Amino acid sequence: MELNKKPLRIRELTAMIFMIIGLKGGDTTPALFADHAQNAIWIVPIISFLFLLGPFLILMHLLKKYKNYNLIELIFHLIGKKAGTLLALLLFTCGFIAMFTDMRNVMEEINYLYFPNSPTLVIYVIFLTICILVANKGLETIGSLAWALLPVIIVTIIAVIFVDLKEAVLVRIFPLFGGGVGTVLFEGISKSAAFLEIFLITIAYQSFHQTKYFHSGIYLGGSLSFMLIVSFYAVYAMLFDYNSINNIAFLYQEATEIVALGHFFTNISTLFMVGWMFSNFLRFIIFLYLICWIFGAIFEIKRFEGLLLPIGFIAMILSLIPPSFVVNEMFFRERSLQIMTPIFFLFPFLLWVASYWKDRKK
Amino acid sequence: MKKLLIFMLLLQTAVLLSGCYDRKELEEQAYVISIGVDMTESEDVFRFTFEIANPEVGSAVSSPSTQEPVQEVVSVLGTDFLSATSAANVSVAKEISLDQVRVVIVSEKLARSKKFIHLMQTAPSIIDLKLNSQLVISKEKAEEFIRTNKPKLESRPHKYFQYMLDRAKETGVIPEAPLVRFFQITEGDADLFLAPFATTKKDPKEEYGAEDNYKAGEVNIKGGNSTQFIGSAVFKEGQMIDILTGEETRFSLMLDTTLPQQDIIANYTDPLRPGFDLAARVQADKVKVKIDYKPTGKTNIDVYVSMHMNIFAVPSTQNYMINSKNRNILHASLQKQLQEEGEKFIKKTQEKYKLEPFYWSLHIRSKFLTIKDYEKADWANKIYPNANVRLHVKVRSLEFGKLLRESDLRKVRD
Repeated sequence: MELNKKPLRIRELTAMIFMIIGLKGGDTTPALFADHAQNAIWIVPIISFLFLLGPFLILMHLLKKYKNYNLIELIFHLIGKKAGTLLALLLFTCGFIAMFTDMRNVMEEINYLYFPNSPTLVIYVIFLTICILVANKGLETIGSLAWALLPVIIVTIIAVIFVDLKEAVLVRIFPLFGGGVGTVLFEGISKSAAFLEIFLITIAYQSFHQTKYFHSGIYLGGSLSFMLIVSFYAVYAMLFDYNSINNIAFLYQEATEIVALGHFFTNISTLFMVGWMFSNFLRFIIFLYLICWIFGAIFEIKRFEGLLLPIGFIAMILSLIPPSFVVNEMFFRERSLQIMTPIFFLFPFLLWVASYWKDRKK
Repeated sequence: MKKLLIFMLLLQTAVLLSGCYDRKELEEQAYVISIGVDMTESEDVFRFTFEIANPEVGSAVSSPSTQEPVQEVVSVLGTDFLSATSAANVSVAKEISLDQVRVVIVSEKLARSKKFIHLMQTAPSIIDLKLNSQLVISKEKAEEFIRTNKPKLESRPHKYFQYMLDRAKETGVIPEAPLVRFFQITEGDADLFLAPFATTKKDPKEEYGAEDNYKAGEVNIKGGNSTQFIGSAVFKEGQMIDILTGEETRFSLMLDTTLPQQDIIANYTDPLRPGFDLAARVQADKVKVKIDYKPTGKTNIDVYVSMHMNIFAVPSTQNYMINSKNRNILHASLQKQLQEEGEKFIKKTQEKYKLEPFYWSLHIRSKFLTIKDYEKADWANKIYPNANVRLHVKVRSLEFGKLLRESDLRKVRD
C-alpha cells in the first residue's frame, strides 16, 4: 500500500522501535545471555550494541546519501538486481527465523505461566489471528497503536523496576565480568543478531513525513531500548545471584513473582502481565508486518498485506517443530543467532563498498 | 454482511472458548496456607501436610452462622510438592491450589538430613508455589506442628502466620527467609542460610535469662497458643547444622547488609547497678563492611555498625538522663556490651561453623573480575575461617523515653 499522506512522525517510530527491541528486556533473551555470562548479563547487550553500532551507522549513512530508497531498494540499487535479490532474501530468511523462534518462546511463556491447561496451538492461533488482523490495517494504524499503548507499557516497566529494586542487592553485580571477560565478549558479539530488528526496520525509511524524522526516531527509540534492556538485565543480576540466574527461563515473570508489596499484596505478578501481553502483541504485529513488507519489496508485490496470513501461518508451523521450549531457546535460537550475526554485521559494509565503487566509476 | 456476521460470531466463540481451558472458579479452589513436610521411613518419600483455609470464616461479608471449621488439615505421602498436591485431592473435593501458600514448614529431622536439598529443588519449577513464601523449621514433626497450632485470637490461618512472622521479625528474633533466599544462598555456596525456628512443644528453661536468649520452646509462657517462633535454624550447603538463639539471630540480622534494618527491643545490663537490666529500643543503621583481601595471609574484615538507642526503662532508677557523667558511663558500657556480644558471636561462626550467616561473601566479590577467580579464592573454606574480623560498634545517639528523670526510690521507701 502506498502511503500518500505519510502521517507518521518521530513519536510513532520511537514507540515502534521501543516495542520491537526494547521489550527484549522482558522475554527469554536474558535467559539466553545469562547461560554463560551469568551475572555479567547486563554487559552483554552493551557489547552487542557497540558491535552493531558501526554497521548500523553505515547503513543509516547510505540511506541518507541515496535519499529515495528503502532498505531493499537500496540493496537493489547498489549491488544490482540479481545479487540484490539474493542478499535481500538472506536478510528476509534471517528475520523470518528470528521471528518464529521468538514467537514460539513467547507462546510457551504465555502457555506455561498464565494458561497452563490450554493447548499451545489454540493460544498460538488466537495470538496469530489478532496479529494478522491488526497488521492488515497498515503501518499507520500500527504506529498509532504503538504510541497509544506506550503509556500502559511504560507504567508497567517503571512499576516493575520500582518493586524489584526493593529486593535487589547492588553488590550482586560483582564479580564484574561474571563468566569471564572472554566469555562475555564472545556472547555479546556472537549473539548480537538478537537485535537484528533495528536493521529490518529501515524498510520503512520512506514512510515518514520527512526522512529526518526517521533518523531522529530510530536513534531515540534505539537508545531508549538500549537503556531499558541494560537496566532490566542489571536488575535481574541484582535480584538473582550468579548461580541462580542461569537456571531461570522466564526472568521477567520470576522477578515479579518473588517480590511482594507489603503484607496484603503478596501475589502481584499478574498486575505486570497486562502490559507485558500488550507489548508482545504489538511486537509481533510490527515484526510480522516488517517481514511481509520485505518479502513484498523483494518480489515487487504492491499489496503485501495479503502475505500476512500465509507467512504468519508458515511461521507458526515451522516454530512448532522444536520439541520443547528449552530446545528452541538454548539450541535452535542460540545457533541461528550465531549464524545470523556475521550476515548482519557484514552486509552494510558490502553496500558501502558497492557505493564507493559506484562513485568511483562515475 | 452475512459473511461478516458469521465471522464475528466465530471470532467471539474463539475468544470465549480459550477462557474455558483455564477457567478457575473461586468456589472450586481449596487454598492451601501452609505446607508441612516430614521424613518417612523410606527414602525419597515425604509426608506432606496441607493446611487448607476456609475462606468463609472470619470474613465480614459471609453469614455469621457458618458451621464449618476454620481449616482442614490433610496429610499425604508424596515424592515432591506437585505429586503430593494431586494425592491430597483424593480426599479434598475442591481443586487444591498452592497460589496462596505463605509458609512451608519443614521438620528439624528432615532439615538435618541430606534429603532436604533434593526436596527443595523441586519447589521452583512449580508455577503455583510462589518463591516469596517463607521457610520455617519446626522442632517437632511438621504435621504435628500444623495440627497443634491453634491460634486463639487469629482464627484465620493466613492472618495468623502473617502477623506472627511480622511480629517476631520486628523484635529481630527470627530471620526473614523466603524460599528464593534459600536458593540464592545455597546455590551461592558461600554463606550460611538462616530460617525461623518454631515449635509447639514447650520445654521451658527454668531460670530467666535475657529475654531473647532462648530457642523456640524454651520460653516459659503460660496460657495462649503453645506455638513459639524464636531463634533460627542454620543451614550449611543446604543442610541444617545448628540452632541459633533469638539473640544470636538478632546479631546476624544486624550485621547483614542485604536485609532491611528494623527497630528491635532488647535488654542490656545496667553498668552502675549490675543486678539490674535496662530496656532499650535499638535502631541500627545499615552496616558497612570493608574487606581488605590478601591472597596470601590473613584477610582483614572491618565491620562498622552504628546505632541509635532509646532507653525506655531503667528499673534501677539510676539517674542517667541528667547526670552527664553517668550518661557517659552508660554510653561506653552499652557500646562495650554490644561489641563484646557481637565479637563472641562472630568468633563462634568462625570457629564452630567456619562460615558466616551475614551474607558477607557479597562484599569480597568486587575484588575479583570473574566468577572463576572468585570461586578459586574460596571465601567459604579459605578466606572467612582464617580472616581477622574487627567489629566497630558505635552508639551514635542515646535517648531516654518521655521522662526527665527517674523518681528516687530511696526517698519513696523512707
